[in-house]
Parts: sequence; C-alpha cells; structure tokens
Amino acid sequence: MVGLVGRLWNLQYKSIVKEASGKTLAVAKFFCVLHVTNTYLCTFALAYGPSMVPTFNLTGDMYLAERLSIKFGKVGPGDVVLLRSPESPRKVMVKRLLGLESHSITYVVDPMKSDRCDTIVVPKGHVWVEGDNIYNSRDSRQFGPVPYGLLEGKVFCKVTTFLSLAHLMLNFDAVNCTSSLSQPKNKRRV
Amino acid sequence: MIIIEWLQAYGPSMVPTFNLTGDMFLAERLSIKFGKVGPGNIILLRSPEFPRKVMVKRLLGLESHSVTYVIEPMKSDRCDTIGVPKGHVWVEGDNIYNSRDSRQFGHVPYGLLEGKVFCKIWPSKEFGSLMKSGMKDPDSYS
Repeated sequence: MVGLVGRLWNLQYKSIVKEASGKTLAVAKFFCVLHVTNTYLCTFALAYGPSMVPTFNLTGDMYLAERLSIKFGKVGPGDVVLLRSPESPRKVMVKRLLGLESHSITYVVDPMKSDRCDTIVVPKGHVWVEGDNIYNSRDSRQFGPVPYGLLEGKVFCKVTTFLSLAHLMLNFDAVNCTSSLSQPKNKRRV
Repeated sequence: MIIIEWLQAYGPSMVPTFNLTGDMFLAERLSIKFGKVGPGNIILLRSPEFPRKVMVKRLLGLESHSVTYVIEPMKSDRCDTIGVPKGHVWVEGDNIYNSRDSRQFGHVPYGLLEGKVFCKIWPSKEFGSLMKSGMKDPDSYS
C-alpha cells in the first residue's frame, strides 16, 4: 500500500518537474532571443533633454534604433545616432552625426556668445556629433571627435504613441518614420 | 561577448606577457560593466583608430589618475606626466618599445573597453591566472 502511494507520488512529482522545467526553458529561450535582438539588431531608446530640439521632444519620446548599420559602417552625415558618452560611460546620448573620419567640419564654437566658427578635420576612426539644438547641447564641440567604437545604434523611427499600442497597430500613421528625422531645413550645412 | 569569451591575441605589444605569435586567453565582460577594473589589469578594448580592431593592453590609469610614461623609449628616457580626464582611461602595452597605445593616441573613453582578461589558456605551460600579474608596476618607470 505504502509502496503504491509512493510510486504514484513519484510519477506526479516527475511530471510536475518536467512541466516546470519545460516552461522555465521556454521563458529562458524567450529572454535569450530578446537579449540578442536588443544587443545586435534593434533596441528601444527613450530620449529626453534639450539638445535635439526640435527633432526630439524635451520631455521624452520613444525611438527605435538599429544596430546593424553601425556594425556594417552604413552610417553617414545627417543620421541620428545613439552613442555612449565619452565623459560619463554609463550614459547613452542621442546626437546627429555630422562628419566621419577625414571629413572637414565647420562649427559654431559658442552660438550664445558670437558667430565665430572653427574648422576641424575629423581624425581616423573618429566621428563628429552635434545636437540639433546647438544652443543647449553638449557634444563634439565640447568633448571633441568621438571614436567610432562608441556608436551604439542608428535611430530610424519614432514611436509616437507608445502607450496606446493597440492604436499603433491599427493606425499606421501613428508611427512617424524617417522623414521626421531628416535634417531640419534651417540648419546650416557645410 | 556576453559573459566570457575565448580569444587569441597576437602581436609584439604585450611581450613578454603574451607571445608574439599568439596566445589564447579568457576574457570576461562583467567587470567592465560594473566598473571593477583597475590599474594593472589586462583589458580588451576597441581601437580608437580602427573601429573593427580589438586590442589587448594593460590598464595603467583610470579617470583623474596621474600617469607618468616614457615618451619614446627607443630614443631617450624622457618622461611626461598626464592627468587622465573624466570618463577616460590610459592603456599601454607591456612592451613599450613596440606598442601603439595611449602614448600615441591618447587616453581612450571608458566606453571602448570590451573585456578584462583573467586567464591564459595556451600555451599550456603558461596556463594560469593573469589577475594583476605583476609584469609591470604602474607607478614606476626605470
């Protein structure tokens, strides 16, 4: 009698353990896929701050950034990029790429004070980034050209109404892609 | 690299710690993420001049450290001292006579660090831990 109960309990125990481990494995696989996608393909970025006004909001918006362009070197001047800050390594910033290596960049040194410009050639392996709001942006004008290895992603899409995801799915015009990220018309280009 | 990676390094800049022809070692990433690296550690970093290249060098100074280095050891013994700015590190190869490091391209942003080397795998007779392996005293040059 005791042996029978023991055998029945063993059987039940085994099936519970099997089911639990199966489900845990499925969850683990899901998180692995999520991690790989986030690290190597595409990531969300919540960007806030004044340095990219008017392109990006002061209070914060959600954006999609993809990582493949950076890995394959398919970024160029005019792209909005995510990069790790050279001054605060835990911070990731969003800026516009203005020049690649060996490009010659002319920038306004201090737009609040004067119109004085300076020209610099971007060294090998580096890029020049600036915020769209040059009056209130900490970028290459302060910390110099940044190594290409600090680039983390290229922003390609703004997710406008992130909270109402259902609305997003049904109305595709809720997502502004690419055209809103092109250079504002009044920005001086060289 | 996610947590630990098995790598091979070749080149003259880390002789005698690493061979010219290539040694295999293990590197981990968690220390970099949590900021647990310090002077004396061997680290992997992405080259600031060639973004596709990853180099192995020894970390000699973190931000706000003062680093004294020999400018050109082949020519003279002249030294220079530099303070490492915020968010940057100073790296040098163990073989200062044949190494392209911070003495040429300056301090590198911390964000370029990719991993910390902690164990040498091959050649098997040199197998062992590389934690602050004492090949170089970061505070003195003679």
